[in-house]
Amino acid sequence: MTDLILLGDEAVARAAIDAGITAAYAYPGTPSTEIYQSIAEHAKAEGLPIRGFWSANEKVALEEAVGVSYAGCRALVSMKHVGLNVAADPFMNLAISGVHGGLVIVVADDPSMHSSQNEQDSRYFADFAMVPCLEPASQQECYDMTRAAFELSERMQIPVLLRLVTRLAHSRSQVQLAPARRPNALNYVADPSRFTLIPANARRAYVDLIGKQAALTSYSEQHAYNTLMLREGRRPGILVSGMAWSYLQEALGDKLADYHLLRVATYPLPLKKIRRLMDQSTELFVVEEGYPLIERFISALGLMQELPIRGKLSGDLPRTGELSQDLIKPCFGLSVAPTLQLEGLAQVLVGRPPQLCDKCPHSDAYIAIKEVLAELGTGVRVMGDIGCYTLGYLEPHQAIHACLCMGASIGMAIGAAHAGVKPSLCVIGDGTFTHSGMAPLMDAARENTNIKVFILDNSIVAMTGGQPTMVTDDEVVNLVAGLGVPRAHIRIVEPTAHKKHQTVATIREELAYDGLSVIVSRRACVTYAKEIKEIKSHRREIPVVAA
Amino acid sequence: MNLDLVICGVGGQGVLSIAWVLDHAAHEAGLHLQQSEVHGMAQRGGAVSAFLRISDRPIASVLIGQGSADVLMSVEPLEVLRYTQLLKPDGWIVSDVTPMVNVPNYPAMADLTRVLFAAPRLVAVDATRLAQKAGTIKAQNMTVLGAAAMHLPLSTAVLEKHIAALFERKGERIVNANLHAFRKGDSASRFTQTLLDAGVPGPLVAQVVSHIHFPPHPVATDVVQEWQQRLLSDQAVSAVEELLAHEELTRLQPHADLAATV
Repeated sequence: MTDLILLGDEAVARAAIDAGITAAYAYPGTPSTEIYQSIAEHAKAEGLPIRGFWSANEKVALEEAVGVSYAGCRALVSMKHVGLNVAADPFMNLAISGVHGGLVIVVADDPSMHSSQNEQDSRYFADFAMVPCLEPASQQECYDMTRAAFELSERMQIPVLLRLVTRLAHSRSQVQLAPARRPNALNYVADPSRFTLIPANARRAYVDLIGKQAALTSYSEQHAYNTLMLREGRRPGILVSGMAWSYLQEALGDKLADYHLLRVATYPLPLKKIRRLMDQSTELFVVEEGYPLIERFISALGLMQELPIRGKLSGDLPRTGELSQDLIKPCFGLSVAPTLQLEGLAQVLVGRPPQLCDKCPHSDAYIAIKEVLAELGTGVRVMGDIGCYTLGYLEPHQAIHACLCMGASIGMAIGAAHAGVKPSLCVIGDGTFTHSGMAPLMDAARENTNIKVFILDNSIVAMTGGQPTMVTDDEVVNLVAGLGVPRAHIRIVEPTAHKKHQTVATIREELAYDGLSVIVSRRACVTYAKEIKEIKSHRREIPVVAA
Repeated sequence: MNLDLVICGVGGQGVLSIAWVLDHAAHEAGLHLQQSEVHGMAQRGGAVSAFLRISDRPIASVLIGQGSADVLMSVEPLEVLRYTQLLKPDGWIVSDVTPMVNVPNYPAMADLTRVLFAAPRLVAVDATRLAQKAGTIKAQNMTVLGAAAMHLPLSTAVLEKHIAALFERKGERIVNANLHAFRKGDSASRFTQTLLDAGVPGPLVAQVVSHIHFPPHPVATDVVQEWQQRLLSDQAVSAVEELLAHEELTRLQPHADLAATV
């Protein structure tokens, strides 16, 4: 087979297709977005009968995949690291119930927070759930390990987590594909007790999960990627995992031969191999991308005294951010290369932070909001949310004062109002609203909490590259009304310079009202105008059916 | 053979298209490649970069280490300065000189060029205007690629083949505009190299090259020699001043008056 130039994300996508998935589900999030995107594009181009879509959120995506697995077929779910927090409930419980058809959850971590609010390490989640985790270090391994993950999942009847990091997800290299496998035939679970986690069944299933651990550890012990290379005699050793393997090879080059070496690419950890490495080592360097998970385990939080362990906990490697060959070099006494020096560089080198596009509707929304807020004096707080409009925090708008996680703005505004903040405002995009903003809005509607919710409806999920939203235009209004917000206080404004006067007047009116208001700021994204037109042309008509 | 390249610019300037062409050209040449790129939030008018590593042996890391880049290629003059710590002391900088000013504290152009033009191995081109003259301002990225081409281990023919492939679906006019833009960049680069080899001071070369309207083919030898002599003579400063006095790029013509502008 010929090789292709693929992103890590695309290699995962192609592997899932070749592994015979019946369906794929995802919620967009950098750096994982291209996985589902690539599956959908390839399936369409090749006319493959692969089902799936951009799901409402990560929890729903995983639940949909569980349904596919229940039916005996294979499914891939992809999300960014924080998406797994949203999907944590089905994830933890799926570990207990186990799977039927192969189910692989791809989670793309974002060390250095290139496009995220934290750098949580998904290996901890796999460990927490007691499910295996595979960690590729190249695009080829993305392909091979995704194929292997489906086999492992089906054989052990357990979900498998594939952990990517930004640098791998968003890097290209040549990938050799393997022959494709046919999708599974429909073969649903015959024994209903397996997926019905009432306590009596769950207790039994939990024992089963614990029982699988020995076999999973044995899988790791035998896995070809978990290579142990012992040199002669006792000497320093290196335990390296994930993408850190690529940086370590680059940093040490031929000097790698001076160290005992164990590369770990699958979890649970291959304990026997680690034991053998430790027995032969005078000291042990642990090099891993993300949290110091392995280091924490084998050093027993630094309590273990038999061998010096050097890594992120010991301060030999940086505790935060992504690794690189240059960050690893000093740890091994190697210096970084000299570089071009230009005089006066520091004086001219200014930053260029991301910003809202020219003519972005969010800019006009923020201009109007800020104008009204200026009339109210200081002390006004606007809870923000996740999307392009988070950039409203930066200059020139500086219009939001918080951003926690997807959908948090409405709940935080409710809490702030309860604590006495008045007025309590929040902004949320149409995409984020349907992801996780509807539930808190129901809370506010039930109590008629005095908060002002701005839904910035730009008809698209723009931040991640233009995925369709669940609702836009009048659908937003109907949805909000359906959640219990009185129509009189669902207001629509058009964020443009020439309608600013009306927008400002509407906001003032709603601020004067002591109760819940939803102000829909409605104008399509300028960057994805073409995509929006295309999406709207396919929009379904929802017939109103009489009771 | 190892070559480490940094390609940079601002979101929307076609940094990833340059990477696409190079990836496919390297692949066709039977080389290994690793290419990282920036997606997501940073693309919103922010700084965008791609790292490309090409080698005849397998490449471990996708990241380029400090002092290991052979070439920095930029579609924007401020952006290229962001990555100089990755460049080898004798590495090449290839950059468009047209600034993309979307931050309030963008430095004064005189200050910026003073720093940039001091780079010892620099191809400074007005890629934006050369692309415009080639048929579309959007081809500024391909002008920059052309200006870097002679420093890459990839043949011009293969690069041009993949440029044509990239723009194929946009029609023949756009394909040709991009190929012309690429060749204009290449022409500027060869002109630069000859002047630097002859001992013309780098900052002077940068000022001259960034004010010339290069043709989509190498500049005639007699014209290059004429410029070489002029810039090595005591008329050099006045020759450059005359060039800079024109708002437009100056077209090169054999035995022509400097004032023959486009």
